[in-house]
Amino acid sequence: MLPQGTQRQQFSLTLALAVAGSVALAPAALAHPHVWATVRSEILLDANHQITGIRHAWTFDEFYTAMAIEGLDTNKDGIYSREELQTLAKVNVESLKDFDYFTFVHFEGEDDKMLPLKPPIDYWIDYDKNVLTLHFTLPLEKPVDTHGKPVQVDVYDPSFFVAFGFATEKPVTLAGPDTKGCTADIALPDPETTADAKALTESFFSQLGPNSNFGSQFAQTAAIKCKDSHL
Amino acid sequence: MRIAAGLAKVVLFAGLSLLFVATAAQAEFKPISPFAATEVAPGPPSAFAPPTAAPFQAPGALGRVFAWVFDKQQSLQRSLAMSVKSLKTDKPLAGALTLALLSFVYGVLHAVGPGHGKTIISSYVVANEETVRRGVIISFIAAGLQALTAVVLVGVLLIALGATGLQVNAWSNRLESISYAMIALVGLHLLAGQLRGVWHRWQQGAPVTVVVARDTHNLGDHHHHTHHDDHSHESHEHHDHDHHYHHAPGEACDHMVDARQLAGPFSWRKVMAVVFSVGIRPCTGAILVLVFALTQGLFWAGVAATFAMALGTAITVAVLATLALGSRELALKLGGTNSTWASMVWTTCAIGGATLILLFGLLMFSASLGPARPF
Repeated sequence: MLPQGTQRQQFSLTLALAVAGSVALAPAALAHPHVWATVRSEILLDANHQITGIRHAWTFDEFYTAMAIEGLDTNKDGIYSREELQTLAKVNVESLKDFDYFTFVHFEGEDDKMLPLKPPIDYWIDYDKNVLTLHFTLPLEKPVDTHGKPVQVDVYDPSFFVAFGFATEKPVTLAGPDTKGCTADIALPDPETTADAKALTESFFSQLGPNSNFGSQFAQTAAIKCKDSHL
Repeated sequence: MRIAAGLAKVVLFAGLSLLFVATAAQAEFKPISPFAATEVAPGPPSAFAPPTAAPFQAPGALGRVFAWVFDKQQSLQRSLAMSVKSLKTDKPLAGALTLALLSFVYGVLHAVGPGHGKTIISSYVVANEETVRRGVIISFIAAGLQALTAVVLVGVLLIALGATGLQVNAWSNRLESISYAMIALVGLHLLAGQLRGVWHRWQQGAPVTVVVARDTHNLGDHHHHTHHDDHSHESHEHHDHDHHYHHAPGEACDHMVDARQLAGPFSWRKVMAVVFSVGIRPCTGAILVLVFALTQGLFWAGVAATFAMALGTAITVAVLATLALGSRELALKLGGTNSTWASMVWTTCAIGGATLILLFGLLMFSASLGPARPF
């Protein structure tokens, strides 16, 4: 029989073992995407260079496409027309509401103050016999000025069930009567910022929870900024 | 010194297991690259060229690893789609082999995500007196049942009932909720059993010990212990406490009840409850492949791919369950012949494992009740 002190040490060893075990197995519990969406977004600017909304075109992968359109060729002519796919578009945009449209608009550095969006308008689905693209426009509740801090648009699924990725070509463009002096840049994640490191750690431990925010580290971010010259 | 050596062992073990998982992942990725190259080949001409997505980027070293894994997963899924389509072209056999291989690899990697029973099965085998062999068998039955659920779901809804893909999705989500609820119930049942056992032992004041050498006391005044091994497992705890009083303090109790039996005897009923609760949740990846194959008019290929995927999933889950069992054995060995240590490890494993299953089930069940996903 070992003396008491050793037993206590052994108990702390069990703890160490448990911790080591969980660390070894933690990556094994990761959330991972099942649906891929390639994002192209148009930022809608009014004449005063205020952002009024975002026009999204999300192109899905072939597997999701097959799943989504199955059974929707209601007239059985072998063609999935825009009319036939409109029910799907409606279901999609309506249920997007519960997920904040996977679109998070805020001023740079104000990640916790999201600018409210209105329900989608002008939505439809295109199908090219291979993949489908969901088009919809998200109006901002109030137009946002772009002359001060840059405005950031993040597109991501916090639970990372859907993996959003910007298109390689023209991922974010500006649309409006006069977009001169305005830029839309893709912001790359900065490994040096403490905010990012914090987000990663938090997500790492909360990834299994119902409010998992694992996907935020893969947020696709565009920064929109206009020069003062216009006013 | 011993503690230091033990700690070194722990660190070494954790490191080795990480290394093993990492190299396994690396090795699994290698065969893909030739297919990943073919994916760039132009597909059927289309009026509208779908946009290509830029590779993932995420901050930090860990983020980069994830980004790399998810990029690989995406290209793997694209290759899968290509190989299903290639079955309709000139080389169906090569296509079929590619499909089987890709599905298998997809299953191996896919099982790393949540919902494939790896947490449940690992916790279950650790919490109960299960051997590596049983852990492997349980992993394979669960994965097979998951594949079967996916095939039946898609077959019945889409082929027999002519439902839509959206309805398949809805049913898949319903089964997911049921599965998590059942997992929580299984966890609750296991935990209640373990706590009852602990309560019994505590009431009877019986110390719990580990078997080192069973029949060293055949001679001498403890001869009534020799019938010990004939007892059914259940009766041990009631029987054991009497004869401890015969021992002088400090005397090694090296012939006593096997502490492993604290975790409860093996029962097919318990195993089937675990396997069923995990197995009725169809794997989303399998459903996607099945529906895609169906839309290509190649449902059989989807079924084959689903089972190849299940094989891969089973292997990953079995490896993780074995690793978990290995940690338990290591923890037991660290205590040497120390009986208190062994009982502590067993109680921790038994109660911890059951609690983990219960919490996981509750957490995932509550998450599954959230609003319906748009995609």
